[in-house]
Amino acid sequence: MADFTAQVFQNEYLAEDSTDAHAVVSVSCSGAGGAGEQGAAAEILIIDASGSMDMPSAKIAAARRAGAVALQEIVDGTWFAVIAGRTEPEMVYPPHFQLAQMNAETRAAAQAAVSALKPRGATALGWWISAATKLFEQVPGAQCHAILLTDGRQEGEAPAALDTAIAAAVGRFQCDCRGVGADWEVEQLRRISGALLGSVDIVADPADLEADFEAIIQSAMGRGVADARLRVWAPQGSQVLIVRQVAPTVEDLTSKGVALSPLITEFPTGAWGDESRDYHVAVRVPPAPVGSERLAARVELVVNDVVVAKSLVRALWSADANLTTRIDPSVAHYSGQAELADAIQQGMAAKVAGDERTATVLLGKAAKLAHESGNEATTRLLAKVVDVVDVEQGTIRLKANVDRADEMALDTRSTKTTRIRKQEP
Amino acid sequence: MTEIPRCPACQEEYLPGTSFCESCGATIEGLEGAASHGTAAEHQATSPPDDAACRHCGGAVLDDGYCSECGTRALSPRDRWTESPATWVGGVCDKGIVHAGNEDAMALYAAESAGSFAALVVCDGVTTAPASDRASLAACIAARDRLTADLDGTPAVSSPAARVNWWSEALTKACALAQRATVSVAAELDNPPEPPSCTFTAGVVHDRLLVAAWCGDSRIYWLPDSGEPRQMSRDHSLGTEMIAAGMSVEDAEADPTCHTITRWLGADTISAIADIASVEATESGWFMVCSDGMWNYASAPERLRSLIVEAQAAGCTTPTEIADSLVAFANNAGGHDNITVALARLEHPEQLEQFEQLEPISQGAPPDG
Repeated sequence: MADFTAQVFQNEYLAEDSTDAHAVVSVSCSGAGGAGEQGAAAEILIIDASGSMDMPSAKIAAARRAGAVALQEIVDGTWFAVIAGRTEPEMVYPPHFQLAQMNAETRAAAQAAVSALKPRGATALGWWISAATKLFEQVPGAQCHAILLTDGRQEGEAPAALDTAIAAAVGRFQCDCRGVGADWEVEQLRRISGALLGSVDIVADPADLEADFEAIIQSAMGRGVADARLRVWAPQGSQVLIVRQVAPTVEDLTSKGVALSPLITEFPTGAWGDESRDYHVAVRVPPAPVGSERLAARVELVVNDVVVAKSLVRALWSADANLTTRIDPSVAHYSGQAELADAIQQGMAAKVAGDERTATVLLGKAAKLAHESGNEATTRLLAKVVDVVDVEQGTIRLKANVDRADEMALDTRSTKTTRIRKQEP
Repeated sequence: MTEIPRCPACQEEYLPGTSFCESCGATIEGLEGAASHGTAAEHQATSPPDDAACRHCGGAVLDDGYCSECGTRALSPRDRWTESPATWVGGVCDKGIVHAGNEDAMALYAAESAGSFAALVVCDGVTTAPASDRASLAACIAARDRLTADLDGTPAVSSPAARVNWWSEALTKACALAQRATVSVAAELDNPPEPPSCTFTAGVVHDRLLVAAWCGDSRIYWLPDSGEPRQMSRDHSLGTEMIAAGMSVEDAEADPTCHTITRWLGADTISAIADIASVEATESGWFMVCSDGMWNYASAPERLRSLIVEAQAAGCTTPTEIADSLVAFANNAGGHDNITVALARLEHPEQLEQFEQLEPISQGAPPDG
């Protein structure tokens, strides 16, 4: 049985008339078991097989190998399918529009079919996602996961079709998105992965695709808790300002809340393996007199409607400035990491739009934040896109002739955060 | 060797005579200290607030100790409790509003027969010294248990002067034991640089005799229904010294150093010797022991008496209800400090239906401390 624990990090002291309580709630899961152990699991590989995958042909060759490796990692008994993404989604395996159950025989047949994948047609991400949603409907209640691989941008269908398809897929399955090469749109894949509680990344070199798919499936198969939700109670007259996953990546959940009652809102967190995730929760509460204590939030992790972990975010009004002016190190760190991700994404958007002045300011801020928080991975990615003049001041110059893949890597990986060494609460 | 009592919830040791654990706040059944002189049932009236309703909005309080609607923290048993040891004696010890914890403490005892015998002990822990809440509670219990330890063996005393003398010595010893209790708490904490400390105030009702002992600035009042109400104690504080030096009461009480006490209990005390005062009650009235969280908002004896009259007019009848009304008054006025009010009701002999004359007590040494 999976064992969850939750720990809260906050400075509970608020100055007189202050209203905003911030906390980082760290949730850990152990003993999760594997996907499909508690109920059915399903996995769909959506592999871009449009004409561009042949240019260069290394892309389709890598996709074939990666598909075969992924099939190898899907555990027996799992319901699965492989879809070829073309102008229309086409079944690679099984041949008809249905899911197959994994065993030695179906695995070999599916691997053979994937190895014969031929590129043709256009990219229609929305349609591909819709096909996966339909297929997953055949296993109601199953834990559903998909990989979406593409090398291009949405072009074969109306732009609104993608949003419609995403909306229909929300809550039905989780989707990790990968872009191979540098001709796809970060924004499009991030829109999909963000809504479908998955990751997004660039695989600039097709040769890296195999290892990446292997890791994705291993991770998906290691999630024995099919679905958990973050349940947040906040007092009457309060307002939940932020519910944001901040580690291992920044994922804003605030707008994904579903109200259970006027005081209780649930936020989806998807499936869990043996892992730890941190959440930044901020609640604006009605102020109370100095000396009063009020609960600002009950933060609970809920699996199958059962509370499996709980922590309390408190607000204690004090006249002692020594207590109230302190910012909790975890809250400060993760606020900075979220700000860093924001600065990179907006900075890159400005750069793409040709607004170099804004891009310089925002990416400079990002360089400073990454340096201050010791986020070395982001510092390295930034260094490929900008020349740092003064990291303390956040002064940078945009590099000329930047590799497009480096820009996309910076953008897609902007949400990866470093963890703070935990202090005792 | 007796077994050290431990909290059933957290296994921490707890002070004999307490009704809740100092560590986790759990309510402890069967009060060891009180049980030693057969008053466990009376002290069971020490009622931790276990109301399921939030005191702020009336919502349900959940297991986590907070309201399910407004999130207000429910008070712990140490934050606020009442004691009603007999129908004529009661008190309320309350955290107030501004302080995060309750460093005040009280320990009350009363014989069933109205007016016969009662001991009211109130100690106010010094907020700036850590664990003063433990020190104040330990001091209260030590003093109360000393004053009630040997009631059966109380020697007969004939003359009022001799009785005053006898109780003066008993109260002095009770104060010394309370002082020892605060030092023990400091020792348990490995003698911190700022040792836990508290004031000491004890009032004894014995037949018509009222004896007050104090160390610090918690107070004892005698508030007869008619006639002149009076403050029996005289604060050991810079404020009192300023008044003695000619400053007006208003100016002295407005001075920030007014509350700097010049005597207290604790390992770092300058003087832990209680002063004693007594009065022979010749009419009906209220004997009151309170902390400065109360008298800060109503220091004049006349004002306190009128607050009691107002409480009665509002329907309060028992001493505990009236004490609670006074606490509510202080909270409404700001509740800037912890508030403790303990009251004993004395009826004129002729008005007392079941007045029982105590065994006369003779002159002699008080029971050993």
